[in-house]
Amino acid sequence: MKNGFSVFLASFLALSLSWCGFVLGPAKQLGTQKQAAVLNSSDVYPIQRSGAAALGLQVYRANGCAACHTEQVRQDGVACEVVLASAGKKPTAVSNLLSTLKLAGLTKEEADAASDKISGAGGTVETHVVPVGVEIPRWGLRQSVAADYLYDTPVQLGSLRAGPDLANVAARFPDLNWQLVHLYAPQAVVKNSAMPPFRFLFEVRNIKPADTPSPDALKFPQGFAPPAGSEVVPTTEAKELAAYLLSLKVDAPLYEAPFTPVMTKP
Amino acid sequence: MNDEAKSNCPANTGGEPVATNSPVPMAMVVLTLTLLFLGGVYFDHHSGWFNARVYTPYVSAEQLDLYQPKSGAAAAAAQGKKVYETVCGICHGNDGMGKPAMAPPLAGSEWVITAGFHRLAQIPLNGLNGNLQVEGKDWNLNMAPMGAALSDADLAAVLTYIRTSWGNKAGAVSADDVKTIRAAAAGHPAISAAQLNSIPE
Repeated sequence: MKNGFSVFLASFLALSLSWCGFVLGPAKQLGTQKQAAVLNSSDVYPIQRSGAAALGLQVYRANGCAACHTEQVRQDGVACEVVLASAGKKPTAVSNLLSTLKLAGLTKEEADAASDKISGAGGTVETHVVPVGVEIPRWGLRQSVAADYLYDTPVQLGSLRAGPDLANVAARFPDLNWQLVHLYAPQAVVKNSAMPPFRFLFEVRNIKPADTPSPDALKFPQGFAPPAGSEVVPTTEAKELAAYLLSLKVDAPLYEAPFTPVMTKP
Repeated sequence: MNDEAKSNCPANTGGEPVATNSPVPMAMVVLTLTLLFLGGVYFDHHSGWFNARVYTPYVSAEQLDLYQPKSGAAAAAAQGKKVYETVCGICHGNDGMGKPAMAPPLAGSEWVITAGFHRLAQIPLNGLNGNLQVEGKDWNLNMAPMGAALSDADLAAVLTYIRTSWGNKAGAVSADDVKTIRAAAAGHPAISAAQLNSIPE
């Protein structure tokens, strides 16, 4: 070959450039992610999954859940909300002022201006950071960031949403029995669900009147219970998968995805 | 070259066709430069300068810093810790345990965990001179008015920090309270234990 060395050099250059772009760059940028502090708290995030939940990730993977479910919440924007903490010594003046101001959906600059005005009138305010987006009220509190996937191998991002996003599913359905019933018979708990049932993860057993029913047996809603004399018991795989689903919770404000958590007082 | 191909060659060139250099059209140069410029603008707005912690919708680390939520109490505690460690910690220790023959402990001190904060606030505002008993030990103190130069908000934050850290569980102090106490204490010389005791808590 006449230009053999040039051809080799050109292809080597092209391949190494794309390797740098696709492998080296991202690894340098995100490869050193580690557990980080949750904003305004001494907690750390994310937490390593429990053993059953870590095995459940492999069940999730084996059953192709990621073909129909994603684990990534998107965010379109961010807004600030000015919330009155105390009206101070001149409550009437403050409340008159409040009625003239726009307090939600502000940029940071507008929120600062509004809180300056209210502090000037004697009130105390807090500025809340609120993620904005179509998916935020439906599926998560904030967008997904790289740190959320720190302990996932492989990461089950998914690319198609035949079913809902699962990044924060444990916050929406924290009940273990609900998760198991939903895997056994999705339509029993979600009407018109398009999800196929995963009956092979469960065992249908006959129970004689003298036997004690299994403590793991599923509790079905009215009309979906198995015939009398039998019970539906989850296999280890089903339990692991449910444990994994219950570990999918993106509720921590991070530096890269800040928001003000809404405190629910017990 | 076979005969047929040869017959396709232009007859009067006297050789094989040769590619010559032709200038790139000016429009192409302008188009390329425009695209490069627009790409640069897009990069500037959307790259976050390859910062791993900047995700859309945020465009830069500076903007992300702006949007960090600061809840009232947490922000004040952080500020109080910062001020304490720069101003008070040198003598009283960052752990609030004090230093022998230098400064008495603040953790668990009966002068700190009082119900009111009016006596405590006098100490950083005026300084303290003379004998003082702290947790059963006698101290002969000569403290400068370390808090006199601090702003009301900073002094309130540091007093709150002292009263709520290292196991202390006393109430918070607000900037307005500090303002009132400071106005009343203006021009007072270093205070003594007896004078402190004459002030209502």
